[in-house]
Amino acid sequence: MSKHLSLRLVVALIMVGIGLVGIVGATVYEFGSARRLGPGYFPMVLSVILVGLGLAEAITAVVSRFEDLSSRIEWRPMLAILAAVAGFALTIHFFGLIPAFFVCVGFTSLAEPDFGILPAAIIAAATSLLAWGLFSLLLGMTLPLIRFGF
Amino acid sequence: MLDNILMGFATAATLTNLSYCFAGVFLGTLIGVLPGLGSLAAISLLLPVTFYLEPTTALITLGGIYYGAEYGGSIASILLNLPGTPSAAVTCLDGNPMAKQGRAGVALFITAIASFVGGSLGIVALMAFGPAIAKIGLGFGPEDYFALMLLGLVAAVTVGTGSVIRSLIMVVLGLLLGTVGTDVTSGDFRYTFGFLELRDGVSLVGLAMGLFGIAEVASSITGSNARSVKHKVDMRSMLPTRKDMRATGGPILRGSSIGGFLGALPGAGTVIAAFLSYAVELRVARDRSIFGKGAIQGIAGPESANNAAAQTAFIPTLTIGIPGSATMSIMLGALMIHGISPGPLLMTDHPEVFWGLIASFWIGNLFLLVLNIPLIGIWVRVLQFPYKFIYPVVIALICIGVFSMRTSVFDVGIVVIFGALGYLMQRVGYSPATLILGFVLGPMLEENLRRAMLLARGDAIRILTDPLAGSVLALSALLLIWAMIGGVRNIIRKQRNTSDVVGEA
Repeated sequence: MSKHLSLRLVVALIMVGIGLVGIVGATVYEFGSARRLGPGYFPMVLSVILVGLGLAEAITAVVSRFEDLSSRIEWRPMLAILAAVAGFALTIHFFGLIPAFFVCVGFTSLAEPDFGILPAAIIAAATSLLAWGLFSLLLGMTLPLIRFGF
Repeated sequence: MLDNILMGFATAATLTNLSYCFAGVFLGTLIGVLPGLGSLAAISLLLPVTFYLEPTTALITLGGIYYGAEYGGSIASILLNLPGTPSAAVTCLDGNPMAKQGRAGVALFITAIASFVGGSLGIVALMAFGPAIAKIGLGFGPEDYFALMLLGLVAAVTVGTGSVIRSLIMVVLGLLLGTVGTDVTSGDFRYTFGFLELRDGVSLVGLAMGLFGIAEVASSITGSNARSVKHKVDMRSMLPTRKDMRATGGPILRGSSIGGFLGALPGAGTVIAAFLSYAVELRVARDRSIFGKGAIQGIAGPESANNAAAQTAFIPTLTIGIPGSATMSIMLGALMIHGISPGPLLMTDHPEVFWGLIASFWIGNLFLLVLNIPLIGIWVRVLQFPYKFIYPVVIALICIGVFSMRTSVFDVGIVVIFGALGYLMQRVGYSPATLILGFVLGPMLEENLRRAMLLARGDAIRILTDPLAGSVLALSALLLIWAMIGGVRNIIRKQRNTSDVVGEA
C-alpha cells in the first residue's frame, strides 16, 4: 500500500527535479525584455510552472491515499527491455548490426523467466534478416553488418 | 476545385504511391492488431522507414498506417475485449458481447463498413472546408497562432481522460523538451549539456518510441499470458442480416456527423467522438436494454464517428499547421522533416502534397475495406500468435528504426531514457500523448509569442485585447479554470468516498 503511494509521489518529484534543472539551466540564457523576449524567457516560465505543478501533484499524491492501487513497477520486464535497447546501442557502435540484434533480442528474452534460448536465437536471426532486407536491400542504406572497430 | 481533386488522384494513383499506401494500410493493421500498440506507436515505429521516400509518398504511407492501425485496434477489441487504442474502448462495449454470441464476423464487417463511410464523409468535409479555412488562416498574425496553439494544448488537457494536473504536467514537460536545441531567434544552444547531438533538439522519433513503444511493450508483457481467440471468423460469417443492415444506417450517418465536427476541433479527437456517438445512439434507441449486450448500433455509430474524426483532424493540421492530437503532431513532424511547413501556404505551395494526400486517404480507406474482409483470417491468426514471439521483434525494430534515422547511438540512448520515464509515468496514470503534442507545438508556440510581443512593442495588453487572439485566449482560460474546478471537486468527492469506506470498516 505505502509502496504504491510512493510511486506516484516519486514521479511527481521527478517532475519537480526536471523543473529545477530547467530553472538552473535557464538562468544562463538571456531573459530578454517584454519587447524582445530572450532565449531564456520561455524555458524559465515553463520550468517554474513545471515545478509548481509537480509540487501540486506531489501534495495530491500524499493527500489522496486510496488512489492508483494498480500502479506497480514490474521490474523484470522493464529492466530487461531497457537493457535490450541500451545493449543494442553499445553493440551496434562497436560490433555492427547483426551482433546488436542478438544482444537486443537476448536481453529482451530475459523479460520472462521461461523464454528459452532457442526461440530467442531464432527470433534474433529472423530479425537480422528482416532488417537487412528492409534497410539494406529495399531502402539502400549502408549499415555495417559486422565490424570490429574500436 | 475539381482540377485539384483530379490532380490529387493522379498523384495518389501512381504505382509507387498505390503500393506504398497498400503497404502502409497492411503494416498499420498488423501493428494495430497487436495488443498494446496503437496508431501512435505504429506511426512512430514506421516513421524512420518513410524518410527514404518522396515527401508525398511518405505522407501517403503514414496516412495508410494510421487508418490501418485504427482498424486493427477494433479487431483486437472485438475479438479479445482488449482495446489497443482508447477510441477502440467504445467498440469493446458491444463488439465483444457480439463476438461472444458468435457474431464476431458481423461485428467486424459492420466495423469495416462504418469506418469506410465515416472516413469517406470525413474526407468530403476535409475537401469542402480545408481550402476555406486555409484562406482564413492566411490572415492570422503571430498572436492569433499563439492563441490558437494554446487553445489546442488546453483543450487536449481538459477533454482528455485522467487528472488535469498530470495532463498539464505532460504538456509543460513536452513544451520544455521542445526548447532543447538551438534557439532559432538567438542561435543559443539551450539545454544541450555539451552534447552535439542535442543541438538539433531531442529526436521526435526517439522520444515517441521511448514513451509509446518501449513503455507500452514493457507493461503489456505482464498481461500477455492468457490470451486466446475462441471465435471462429471467416468470410461467410461476416455477412450481416438484413436487420443488421437496417439498424446501422442511422447510427453511421449520425456518427459521421458527430465525428466530422469534433475531429476538426483542437484536442477533441477520435476518443471523444466515439464516446459521444455511443451516448447519442443510447439516447435515440427505442430499446436501450440491448446496449452493452451486443447492439450493432453501438459499434456502427462510434466506429464511423472515430473514423470521420480521424479524417477531419487533418483540417487544422494541414491548413493552419496546428495539430489537434498527438498522432497529428507526429504527422506534422513528418512533414517538417521532409522540408514542408504545414500551414495556409501548403495548399498553394505544395498543392500536389495536399490534394495527393486527400486522394490517397480515400484510396487508403478503400484498401482498408478490400484488405480487411478477405484477410480477416490472417488478422485473427496474428492475434493468436504468442506475444513472446512478437515483442522482441518490436523492440529490435524500434532500435534499428531510431538508429537508422541519423545513424546515431545517442538517439537510441534517448529511447532508453524516455522508455524508463514513460514506463514510470504510465504506471501512475500520466498520458504521454499530450507530452508529444506539447513537444511538437512548443517551438512554434515560443516563436509566435516572441514575434507577437515584438509586433505589440512589448505590450501584452494589445495581444489580450486583439479581437481574435484575445477571445481565443479567454476561451482557453475559461476551459482551464473549468477543468481545474472539476478536478478539485473530483478529489474532494474521492476523499469523501474513501473516508466513508474507512468509516464503515
